[in-house]
Amino acid sequence: MTTVHPKLETRGISKAFIRAGATAGQGAAPPLAVLTNISLTVRTSEFVSIVGASGCGKTTFLRILDGLIEPSAGEVLIDGGAVTAPGRDRGFVFQKDSLWPWRTARENVLFGLEIQRRPRKEAHATAQKLIELVGLKGFEDHYPHQLSGGMRQRVNLARALAIDPDVLLMDEPFASLDAQTREVMQLELVRIWNEARKTVVFVTHQIDEAVFLSDRVIVFAARPGRIKEVVPIDLPRPRPFGIKRTAPFAAYVDHIWSLLEDEVFKSSGVKVA
Amino acid sequence: MAADVPVQSNRVAPRIAGPGMRPRRAVATARRLFQSHRRAVRGLYSVVLALVAWEVVGRYVVTSKLMFAPFSRVIVEFGRLWMSGELEHHMLVSFSALAMGFAIAAAVGIAIGSLIAVSPAVGEHIDPLINALYATPLIALSPILIMAFGIGPASKVAIVFLLCVFPILINTTSGIRSADDGLVEAARSFSASRGEIFRLVLLPSALPFIVAGLRIAMGRGLVGIFIGELFGARAGLGYLISISGQTFDIPAMFVGVLVLAVAGVVSVAALEYLERRIAPWRHFDLKA
Repeated sequence: MTTVHPKLETRGISKAFIRAGATAGQGAAPPLAVLTNISLTVRTSEFVSIVGASGCGKTTFLRILDGLIEPSAGEVLIDGGAVTAPGRDRGFVFQKDSLWPWRTARENVLFGLEIQRRPRKEAHATAQKLIELVGLKGFEDHYPHQLSGGMRQRVNLARALAIDPDVLLMDEPFASLDAQTREVMQLELVRIWNEARKTVVFVTHQIDEAVFLSDRVIVFAARPGRIKEVVPIDLPRPRPFGIKRTAPFAAYVDHIWSLLEDEVFKSSGVKVA
Repeated sequence: MAADVPVQSNRVAPRIAGPGMRPRRAVATARRLFQSHRRAVRGLYSVVLALVAWEVVGRYVVTSKLMFAPFSRVIVEFGRLWMSGELEHHMLVSFSALAMGFAIAAAVGIAIGSLIAVSPAVGEHIDPLINALYATPLIALSPILIMAFGIGPASKVAIVFLLCVFPILINTTSGIRSADDGLVEAARSFSASRGEIFRLVLLPSALPFIVAGLRIAMGRGLVGIFIGELFGARAGLGYLISISGQTFDIPAMFVGVLVLAVAGVVSVAALEYLERRIAPWRHFDLKA
């Protein structure tokens, strides 16, 4: 008998940070709960986004999925196997400027393959294929400083894809881009996702971005971070860019916005009249 | 005919104005030469001015041969010492001790500096000691080192090492400590080991700091070799300066000083060149 495991599963993930500055006189401050009891299942090739107010722990959750930090409780399973450290089955796309400045675009993409001791020739072929996939042909030997923000994030994406991970973890990868570049990158990401068929967990604070890209949007509530609602996005694919101006799309955005509204005002300290 | 082809690009080294060149073109060539080396040319102005002032002061202001010598006299003396082979001998003695002390200081400084940066426990134990030693005028220990190691090259190597090692060590430590956390985490996400993170992320990001440390160390090393040879030696530029000074052979004394000064300029320029070669990413902003 074989059990079919979901691609990615979390069981009761909680995370609390020890608070700095706990003084002896007042006794130890209670740990700061960032995430409580997050259980989530993601299917193979599914595109899932996590949205939430800032400080809701969505980045922390993503880092736990990658094994960069350990949860205080609960476990992460990939294909039924527990995650304890970063592994080659997951690729992480960082928010900003995590490209190594002393490496060219090509050398950045090659990094993961070097760590895995892949043969040089094969590694270079893979890197070249991915650089072309993200549309950076001709910029292989440019250093990050010579590339625009959008191009740097393309390298960032190619770098994560180079190790051919099953799961792509993306932490607000387009947050630092201007609006036009961001929309181009969203279309590019969908194209690449279609070609590579990765399972994607995508953290963003842009609701329309989440709706446009995702099969499901997970709405996080803050303090401590927890799943408030899971919103399946039943919009047909391929989704043309104009879909953002259709009524069903707007309805999803409105719905998620209303879920987040209280949270956003709570965390920004603004009173709703 | 070929000589009349105009230079198309600024990047091609301009030709020197020759007889076949019309005056206007010669001016244009000179202007291009100036613009392509603007910084070097401007730096040269002050040097030329200083040498002219030296000559004037030596000839007309301080005329006593026991106190000062004009630049031209020093150059003549330089030629004499060079032709006799004496100067080369002093340079060889000084620069070999300097190179050895500097190389050992670089190896030890980078190794211990790295260890302090990656191991907080080691850092906490020896940081105060390192900072105290860096602030101490270690040059004051030179007489003791000469007594301990003799007046041969060993004591000079020891003095140079002692003066050079701390700036290299401290810069290595702060370079590694200031490495961007995001860059380290990106490497971790690819399952890089601790050794790989050190070699592929920490060391490259510390490189500009390390080279800056080497530059500071080189300046201190030049002082060290001079002082070491001043206190007790049988040869070397410091010895030449000290003996010439004592015998009022002022031109020979200035030859020693001049060679040390040029060595300082050349070695710092060489380290800057090295930095551009191994850390080219730092200069893209300026080049673009």
